[in-house]
Amino acid sequence: MLLLAVRETTTLDRLKHVVNSLCAPEYFVSLTVVLFAVALLWYRRWTKPAIAGTILLLFSIAYFGSAADPNFVKIITKPDNVPITMMIFLVGFFTWLALRLGAVNDERREKGEPLLEAGSDDKVLVWPDLVYTELICLVLCTVVLVVWAIVLKAPLEPRANPSAIPNPSKAPWYFLGLQELLVYFDPWIAGVLLPGLIIFGLMALPYIDKNPRGNGYYTFKERPFVITVYLFGFLIMWCVLIVVGTFLRGPNWNFFGPFEYWDPHRPVALLNINVSDVFWITLPSRYPKLCPWSPGLPTQAALGGIVPAYIVREAPGIALIGAYFLALPVLLAKTAFQKLYAQMGLARYVVFWLLLSWMFLVPIKMVLRWLFNLKYFLAITEWFFNI
Amino acid sequence: MATVQLVTKVWIAPGCIVCDACETTAPSVFEVKHDDGTCIIRPAALDAEFTKPLSNDIVQAAEECPVDVIKFETIDVPAEQAPAAVTASAAAPTETQAEPHAPSPSAEAASAAAPAKASPHKPATKPKEAAKSMDPAVAALIAAATVRGGAAGILRAAGDVPPAVKGIQKLSPDKLPPDARYAKVLEKSKPPKPEEKTRRDWMVRVGWIAMGVGVGGPSLLGFQRFMMPNVLEEPDPKVRCGPLAKFTGMQPGDVNEDFKNTGRFWIVREEDRLSAVSIVCTHLGCIPSWLPNDRKFKCPCHGSGFKQNGVNFEGPAPRPLERFKIGIEGGEVVVDRSKKFLAMGPNDTAVWNDPEASIPV
Ligand code: SF4
Ligand code: FES
Repeated sequence: MLLLAVRETTTLDRLKHVVNSLCAPEYFVSLTVVLFAVALLWYRRWTKPAIAGTILLLFSIAYFGSAADPNFVKIITKPDNVPITMMIFLVGFFTWLALRLGAVNDERREKGEPLLEAGSDDKVLVWPDLVYTELICLVLCTVVLVVWAIVLKAPLEPRANPSAIPNPSKAPWYFLGLQELLVYFDPWIAGVLLPGLIIFGLMALPYIDKNPRGNGYYTFKERPFVITVYLFGFLIMWCVLIVVGTFLRGPNWNFFGPFEYWDPHRPVALLNINVSDVFWITLPSRYPKLCPWSPGLPTQAALGGIVPAYIVREAPGIALIGAYFLALPVLLAKTAFQKLYAQMGLARYVVFWLLLSWMFLVPIKMVLRWLFNLKYFLAITEWFFNI
Repeated sequence: MATVQLVTKVWIAPGCIVCDACETTAPSVFEVKHDDGTCIIRPAALDAEFTKPLSNDIVQAAEECPVDVIKFETIDVPAEQAPAAVTASAAAPTETQAEPHAPSPSAEAASAAAPAKASPHKPATKPKEAAKSMDPAVAALIAAATVRGGAAGILRAAGDVPPAVKGIQKLSPDKLPPDARYAKVLEKSKPPKPEEKTRRDWMVRVGWIAMGVGVGGPSLLGFQRFMMPNVLEEPDPKVRCGPLAKFTGMQPGDVNEDFKNTGRFWIVREEDRLSAVSIVCTHLGCIPSWLPNDRKFKCPCHGSGFKQNGVNFEGPAPRPLERFKIGIEGGEVVVDRSKKFLAMGPNDTAVWNDPEASIPV
């Protein structure tokens, strides 16, 4: 009996260990992206109620079963983090619902049957139907909030004191995605530009995408590109980052597995370097034949003092960033996005590229940070301009 | 012998509901003019040589048009003479497409040309008649729109057009040369003559300016007063840290945390000097903790790490920790927080060699 128990704990521990190592950021985010791709590719298969139900069951068992682990339960029972559990299940449910209805409609459309929404009449009378519904919702929400506020106390912490700072210092859960961005970008990008782009980008969507397909009925097949891009932004770049910030970020803002003890003294060495360091120091010292300049950051202004030293130093970064923001869209408009460009016209295409490029700069930079410890493409600290 | 149909002429019969579908499918041929409540053929596409390679797109657009007002004429050519774009996607001509699409007083065109007479339920029944030729998605879209009061909208859109278009709508479409309507719409869509300025406009403008000055001026003055309060409470920037002897016991690599709370700095001993290092992270202003075992400062907010001398080496912080002016006054170590020494990067710390930035030991 005892032996069995011991063996069980060891297999369980081994499993936890596997999960912990899979939760290293590079694996975790790659896995979620693969999962995302599979979910969209096979949206017709897995959304069938039986399969989706099984997935939900297995996931719930794994999730709530993990509460037996002392480190995991500490995370999910923190009053701040209760909404995250709700978020995970709600986001999962609504993603399933939309894809399921889209799958049904796409199938019907292929068979030439009327769509789910055909002939549906969603008109209701303001009085009494709408007003009553709203009143009931209002009462229910108030009750839930009051009960919640009584049962789960809002953490009121002692007066701010610089010698006793919470470690890790976490933002409210819904901002953890943004806080995660701050690890990779300057405050003015992660705190001002990116949130601004999210808000204005969402407002601009109806003007960028004027295609009437999909208006008033669910579908995936007719709008695969836009739905994929949107869901990537929402699920991966917002929800998954919140999960990362909640479950995987521990003391000193280091990465920890969900079942790992949050040890503030765990040594983690992260020596970050800029593109300029790679270009001016690493490359010439490692491949002296290919890169015949002498290793060392340039400190001299060029062209008789017209181009300041920091521009010379950051030239490789400027070239990279310039290519990404300016040359790539032109290239794409001539190749992969040709039809899109013809439909959109110049102005809308420019806005579209602005939003898309910033959205994809985030995962690009994260991956480069995790794999190569890249700090900034472009680091003009003299102007507080780092990308 | 396999033949392919090429579109030589495309035009739009009256009744367009400005739904954008055709422009989405073939943007180089169709242009939807929301302001004119109609859709036109772009001038370039009035040319047969232009439309031929786009035949597939045009046929598709015509099929997708929810009110079937896109008309076109085709010629048959042997497959090998057709442009590659048309044969590549191998649009096998169906029975319906094989009929000449010359303007004919067909039932659909006639009903579209007389929208005022159509009953509100007409479009609801239409998708059923045309179910075979129409894209089911669009059919469903129309059906849904109809139930939601869209029929009125469709009729209004078809009726609410410039008079020139109305005149054309009265004609049976087969009486119209395909391009006449386009010409009329174009003429109609020229910008109207600028209206003359009236005295009323002038009064309104003066009124707005007066209001702007009246409201904005005082608020600006008030704001300016607000920004310059009579009393400013600022702690003495000079922090007295006690006799130098207190710090001479520190070894190189040591960090003294005594003034973290009161002065917001650490006293740091480097090889040959003592300096006052600010406790504020250069990333976003959190307060890093000194980890004596790792010999580094580590920020709990986004993980920036600084070496014992304040040089940033991990995480997002772009600059080393700042240093304050430090000196000896009357045998006592005094840190002056009003003067800072900012190093711009890990390799750019020459400012710290300033005699005011450290005390040699
Ligand atoms: S109603 Fe037909 S012609 Fe008019 S915009 Fe729609 S598809 Fe084009
Ligand atoms: S504030 Fe210190 S790392 Fe962001």
